[in-house]
Amino acid sequence: MLKVLRRAADRRRQADGYYAWLFQPYTGDELVAIDSETTGLDTRSAELVSLAAVKIRGDRVLASESLDLRLQRPASLSGDSIRIHGLRGIDLEGGESIGAALGRFLDFIGNRPLVGWCLDFDLSIINRELRPRFGFDLPNAGIDVAHAYVRQLRRSHPEVEPGLRFEQVAGALGVPVMGRHTALGDAVTTALMYLRLERGAMLAKRSS
Amino acid sequence: MVDVDLSQPPFTFLDDEGRARVRSGIDLAYFDRDEIILEAGQPGEFVFIIHKGEVAELDTTLPGARERIGHYTHGDLFGAISILNGKSRYRFRAEQESLCYLLPKALFLQLCDDYPAFAEFFRQTLAHKARLLTEQRAEGGVTMAGFMLARVSECMRQPLCVGPASTIAEAVATLHDSHADSLLVNGEQGAGMVTKTDLLNALVLEGREQDSPVQAVAHFELVTVTPDQYLFEVLVVMTRHKVERVVVMEQGAPCGVVELTDVLSYFSSRSYVVSLQVAQADSLEALAAASRRTPELVRALMAQGVKLRFAMGLLAALNGRIMNKAWGFLIDERYHGDSCLMVMGSEGRGEQILKTDQDNGLILADDLDWPDCAEQMQRLTDTLIELGYPPCPGNIMVSNPEWVGSVTQWRGRIARWAAGRDGDSLMKLAILLDSHAVAGNPTLLEQVREELFERCSRDEILLSYFARPALRFSTPLTLFGSLKKPQHGIDIKKGGIFPIVHGVRAMALERGIRVTSTLERLDALAEDGRLEARFAEDLGEALSLFTQLRLEQQLARLDGDGSKGGKPDRVVVQELSSLERDLLREALHIVKDFKQRLSHRFHLEYS
Repeated sequence: MLKVLRRAADRRRQADGYYAWLFQPYTGDELVAIDSETTGLDTRSAELVSLAAVKIRGDRVLASESLDLRLQRPASLSGDSIRIHGLRGIDLEGGESIGAALGRFLDFIGNRPLVGWCLDFDLSIINRELRPRFGFDLPNAGIDVAHAYVRQLRRSHPEVEPGLRFEQVAGALGVPVMGRHTALGDAVTTALMYLRLERGAMLAKRSS
Repeated sequence: MVDVDLSQPPFTFLDDEGRARVRSGIDLAYFDRDEIILEAGQPGEFVFIIHKGEVAELDTTLPGARERIGHYTHGDLFGAISILNGKSRYRFRAEQESLCYLLPKALFLQLCDDYPAFAEFFRQTLAHKARLLTEQRAEGGVTMAGFMLARVSECMRQPLCVGPASTIAEAVATLHDSHADSLLVNGEQGAGMVTKTDLLNALVLEGREQDSPVQAVAHFELVTVTPDQYLFEVLVVMTRHKVERVVVMEQGAPCGVVELTDVLSYFSSRSYVVSLQVAQADSLEALAAASRRTPELVRALMAQGVKLRFAMGLLAALNGRIMNKAWGFLIDERYHGDSCLMVMGSEGRGEQILKTDQDNGLILADDLDWPDCAEQMQRLTDTLIELGYPPCPGNIMVSNPEWVGSVTQWRGRIARWAAGRDGDSLMKLAILLDSHAVAGNPTLLEQVREELFERCSRDEILLSYFARPALRFSTPLTLFGSLKKPQHGIDIKKGGIFPIVHGVRAMALERGIRVTSTLERLDALAEDGRLEARFAEDLGEALSLFTQLRLEQQLARLDGDGSKGGKPDRVVVQELSSLERDLLREALHIVKDFKQRLSHRFHLEYS
């Protein structure tokens, strides 16, 4: 509810701005799978380290049309998160400033619906950076693959407690994990998982 | 950027930069089970690299189980040929849920341009594919199975029997008369075996008299088999008992003998047997019997996947020996040194596998006096017809006085033909150019051919006229380079064999190449530098393919398969397997290319 109001307010404020087109309803047949690597898991303090997006058109994952951004080293980059995503301070040298990166990101995704693994987490971090710089949250429609998976599993196997680890779900869907804990790799894997879910992988599995 | 395994060919032909281009250019796609990834006839837009899953390649024109012609799985690549050809020839269907990387057409073509080795990987040569086909054919091995399933009754020979009272001398005489190695003696307690070695031992080592009874040296413990046992069982029995012949018994009485050599030759390609039969033939009837077995030999060679080139060589040698033998029987020995029987046309080139017709001629020494020559030649022709060589419809035979002459007469004819340059003369020159001596004195033919090269090889205008017929028949390809598919089939003799043979012949005449077989001429031309070695090889392969297809039709006709009907030169494209069709198309493209070179070389553009 609050979100809807905020989006309406955003749209009005941006009505004459450069990003007004983001608020238009999307009519194409593409989606964008996104993923980000951050310095932590707390949406209030974690900062972006890298950000990736890959387009999905029909039943194709357009890996050739993808965006992979490395950002400048954030202050909160610590050993714990480096262990996960493997991006050290030096690796981020020459990375883009967060403002420029978000600008490119917005241009890339446009008003296409977003697909992500635990999308809310990525969105809240992105929005936290976006609002002070651009003055709005991402207005795009979103599909959370983790939710979709749980929903489909409930429908097909009501008694099974869904295991919600990324690798586990990818395995269950028969999707190869392309590059775990790199933003682009996870985005591509997420996109593939989405395609499998779309085509009723769980339902098909039951019938076979 | 996707991490895809690029450590397999053809990607190993790229450098790091190329591989990075592939990585950044590819997409991913999922295909459900039984989903059609690429439909036959659809233009190829992507090269597919399978990351996971299985894909089947189907030829939709073939029925049922035979339609599956390819199977691809993890790491395999398909669709590249579809891009190079413009459209997909076959249907690709996912056998399982499959995840594929898609390499877009534009990027693929760019890579092909930038990395020749990469492109080469996809353009396999005709020879390579032909080898595949040969292997496939050899694998079929239907006839091979026939050998294994042969029974004793098909291979045994009549036993040679003598009475119990016969003497050793009589036994030796009998063996000698019938060219045998062993005989059976009918004793009171049944049959006994006597071999040549037994007789030798009895006479020399034991010092028996020639008129002592043969029964005393016979072995009555026989190794026997029954007529309906398998031949390979006989081989096992022989090995076990360390004997070289077994007796075939039917209802207690001997009805045949099987010798080790019979079994072995039956298992081998039988070429040895036929040539032996020809060599041993002491009468025209025996020669005719041997001659009748050649189609069977051809079939066995084909089933074993013997390269056509060698099969042709073998058959040419065999046919030559048969004619030589016939000549020896019919012609008085005193004429042998002063006359030369030559075969011409396909026989002269050694490319006549089955006997189609006889093209032959006779050259006589200038000072020879041979009164009843015409009569004898008529007999020779008739005999050859009996031996299975049908008469030539163009009457190019020794029975026709036009094809008999002294060296001087022949030289005069060549001069006349070379000056005339009309269709008939040119054809005769071409026929003579392919001539090959089979009997008599070959130096006479050499003299005549010397004259032929002398007169023709530097005459540009004559060469141009000579080469022109090679372009007479159009290549059965459509405007877009695919095979024409008329209902009655395409004529591969006119469309494929003739242009190659005649074009190569014209070039051989130009370069003064003396050998007659087209394949040897091609080798010689490549050595001479007239043709690139690669192109010569392709032409040879194409010719072998056409000959093989034609041969299959001829064999089918010999089998009395009336349904194929019609002429053996007609190949109905629709009846071929997809691989054969593919080969045929490529071979015809080579012919087309060759024709262009010919018309360039001999200035046939405006004629």
